Amino acid sequence: MGKRNTIVVSSSSGEDKEDSTWSSRGNRSANSNLKSSKRSTNSKGAKKKARLVGLKSRTDSSVSDQLTLFCEDFDERFNGIKVPAGSLKNAHKQLWVDKYKPRSLDDLAVHKKKVEEVKMWFHERLRPCKDDCLNQVLIVTGQAGTGKSATIQTIASHLGAKVCEWNTPTPTLWQEHMHMSSSGLRYTSKLDEFENFVDRMRKYGSNSFIEGQSNSLSILMIDDLPPANGKLASGRLLNSLRLLVQSASIPTVIVVTDYGRADLPESSGRWLEELQSSLESAGACKVTFNPATTNSIKRVLSRICSQENCRATNEQIELIAKLSGGDIRHAISSLQYFSLKLDTVCYPSLISNNPSTYEKLISDEGNNRCLMPMGRDETLSLFHALGKFLHNKREAGAAFVSDQDAFVLNEKFARLPLKMDAPEKILFQAPEQARPITDFLHENVLDFLNDEAIDDSWTVAAYLSEADTLLASPNGFIFRNHEAENLSQSVAASVATRGVLFGNSCPVSSRWHSIRRPKLWQVDKSSSWNKHDLLKQRLDLREACSLPNSTVIATEYMPTLKRLNYAEATAPWTTMQDKQSGEDECDAMSIHGDERVESEDEIEDW
Amino acid sequence: MLWVDQHRPKTLDKMIVHQDVAQNLKKLVTEQDCPHLLFYGPSGSGKKTLIMALLRQMFGPGADKVKAENKTWKVDAGSRTIDIDLTTLSSTHHVELNPSDAGFQDRYIVQEIIKEMAKNRPIDTKGKKGFKVLVLNEVDKLSREAQHSLRRTMEKYSSSCRLILCCNSSSKVTEAIRSRCLNVRINSPSVEEIVKVLETIAKKEGLQLPPGFAARIAEKSNRSLRRAILSLETCRVQQYPFTPNQAISPMDWEEYIFEITSDIMKEQSPKRLFQVRGKIYELLINCIPPEIILKRLLYELLRKLDAELKHEVCHWAAYYEHRMRLGQKAIFHIEAFIAKFMSIYKTFLISTFG
Repeated sequence: MGKRNTIVVSSSSGEDKEDSTWSSRGNRSANSNLKSSKRSTNSKGAKKKARLVGLKSRTDSSVSDQLTLFCEDFDERFNGIKVPAGSLKNAHKQLWVDKYKPRSLDDLAVHKKKVEEVKMWFHERLRPCKDDCLNQVLIVTGQAGTGKSATIQTIASHLGAKVCEWNTPTPTLWQEHMHMSSSGLRYTSKLDEFENFVDRMRKYGSNSFIEGQSNSLSILMIDDLPPANGKLASGRLLNSLRLLVQSASIPTVIVVTDYGRADLPESSGRWLEELQSSLESAGACKVTFNPATTNSIKRVLSRICSQENCRATNEQIELIAKLSGGDIRHAISSLQYFSLKLDTVCYPSLISNNPSTYEKLISDEGNNRCLMPMGRDETLSLFHALGKFLHNKREAGAAFVSDQDAFVLNEKFARLPLKMDAPEKILFQAPEQARPITDFLHENVLDFLNDEAIDDSWTVAAYLSEADTLLASPNGFIFRNHEAENLSQSVAASVATRGVLFGNSCPVSSRWHSIRRPKLWQVDKSSSWNKHDLLKQRLDLREACSLPNSTVIATEYMPTLKRLNYAEATAPWTTMQDKQSGEDECDAMSIHGDERVESEDEIEDW
Repeated sequence: MLWVDQHRPKTLDKMIVHQDVAQNLKKLVTEQDCPHLLFYGPSGSGKKTLIMALLRQMFGPGADKVKAENKTWKVDAGSRTIDIDLTTLSSTHHVELNPSDAGFQDRYIVQEIIKEMAKNRPIDTKGKKGFKVLVLNEVDKLSREAQHSLRRTMEKYSSSCRLILCCNSSSKVTEAIRSRCLNVRINSPSVEEIVKVLETIAKKEGLQLPPGFAARIAEKSNRSLRRAILSLETCRVQQYPFTPNQAISPMDWEEYIFEITSDIMKEQSPKRLFQVRGKIYELLINCIPPEIILKRLLYELLRKLDAELKHEVCHWAAYYEHRMRLGQKAIFHIEAFIAKFMSIYKTFLISTFG
């Protein structure tokens, strides 16, 4: 069983890279799994693995899912049309992402300094005379597609080191499980596999995985962590990682993909952060990769273009680079898809030899983002959305011009047009629910009102009150119908945001504002705590003969008791609430832990 | 021990106020089987005292030996089990609880407890199966579902348990429940009655009450007997011997709301509104119910207000009080009311004084 670890020995010199396999990334890694069976000692385990791989066409991460979709799309396109003679003829067998994998350090679209940093780290560890005090673990984090794995691979090949990869195993499907259990193979959890692997790594060192050549330099790369859900599983993962950090004997790189905050539920995002900081405290080194800059992506793209004889203009490349959001893999795939599109869509105009219409077509297409199928969905963080609503930017001066037909709006109700998308659209982009949005608006809106504008603050407060009423389920009924609930939620969010936008009739000129976390949440919590406390105190205090009502205790008994100087027995409210608020600050009760976030500049950017 | 608890009449015969009700109740339980009862009336009128005395009348001194316990009830709700924490007060003959403390899970708790009570019924001296009494407080705060399930359980288990319900307003109790109970309305004691009670207590405590002082306390108490007795005790601590025009201090939260109103009257701006919000949060943290905050706020504002504004302000207070009951977070609505008041008041000031 123990031999089933998916350790892959792939020589990084790049000779395999020319394999013309028509596969997505997920399959590619599976293929290298196959390859490893030829080389690694544990051929028995690898054989099992091979069978496994044969079954698994499903890819493991969402990124590769996307790519698979792309591939299907490619297939369709390729089957549907005759490929025009020329450049694509020989190349279409392979995805550009694989074909143009960086070979040298210069190819990398990662910032020079980062590359240098990682390189130095390896240098120090791979020197013949090692300092023992150096910790052997490096954590590389960054968003998807920023070239984390590629950098490691490239540097390793630059230094002439071997990379052993531990790939996150693909999840087992139910059918596979059924199939395998019939063949007598028992299911092991991926986490178990990982723990097992780490254990062996510690006990027997890297030699248990890598054949012979112990004198050659080798690097262990853990490409993404096995999935761990729930406290228990993540605790185990963390433990085994810490063990690895403390005891690694060869340079080990742990690649952690940083999912955008918006993509994940808050808790798991925070968990990843915790994991990283805990590993760091255990002695690991950490390097964060920033999203690739538009310029470096452009550089890569134009290099590919020139090699592929692709006729994308500079503007188009720039647009693709921008839309990719710093994800270079995405950008390259987009370029490949885009160059396909060029040929299919614009083929007629090319034939007619009319460059101007061609240009026009292209630029039309380029300008209209909706036509670009490969743009990433933009997401807004909660604070960006809030900033938009609170700052309430409007077109300056441009008076509201109404049609003759439209009824004339009373001046009192007329507002300048908004300098943003419709609030609903922004809400749609922001991942948050209606309730937190409303709470945040309520907490912060008064800061953004003019000092004199008490009427406005009433308008805003009135709309927020409406929104709250909408948010409450009628008569304490729990909605049985989710559609109805969703509708009332989105209506409430809409009322709250539009209310805030409309109510603030003369927004103050923008200046720096911090956005506070709603105090309301803390208040709710302490209040229910105190209520509990009160009841208990009351029951303790007297020879209870009747169950008191909390309202009466709070409004009548407690104040009297305080007056009567029973202060020792019953904590006065100030101390009680101090204690409470102290506790609350430690509690993770907020969706965004930090109380003061996002400076004005950041809000301005959007 | 507070005087309110110490001097609470233990038996129906010792009642000073509501003597007629007490006598009728006594007749009811001695002559025949007791029906379900629903006591309703304003706070501080003596409902609880009557109920305690009634229980004693029914079961003898055993009903006084109560113990409080905080129990977690495991309720089987269809597909899953729910754990509900609830404090109950029980003797061998009765159980008392505030089902509304369970929040939106209140409907399960009522059913579950009644079922359990029905299972272990006490056996009386004649070997006959007796019944237990379940005292439910704050029935008016129960959700509709809970009241509905309460009605069913009442019918099903009526042989093994009697319910005594207690609430402030019977209008929030469903018709179905009201018709299954004997409704007993407990009025607020009159000022004279309160004075009488205060004098009795003073006599027991050996205090000298100056003439008119008890009457003043009674007036201030808003006809709540509990409030009056608590005030008397406070005054005793603050200054004794009493003087006829001794200050009777309001509760601290009332003083705090007074402060808030003067803040509101002094300045009307978003900034001030924000400060006021902080103060209201303070009150909410200390479990002062939002309805009471709004009510008191209105009361204090009206005292300082010009007559021509009163109507409009009252209208908006009622409007937002209704909103508050429909909505979820009270602060949104209280704040909207304050903002509206500020807006009205500022317009008024500008039009009057330019």
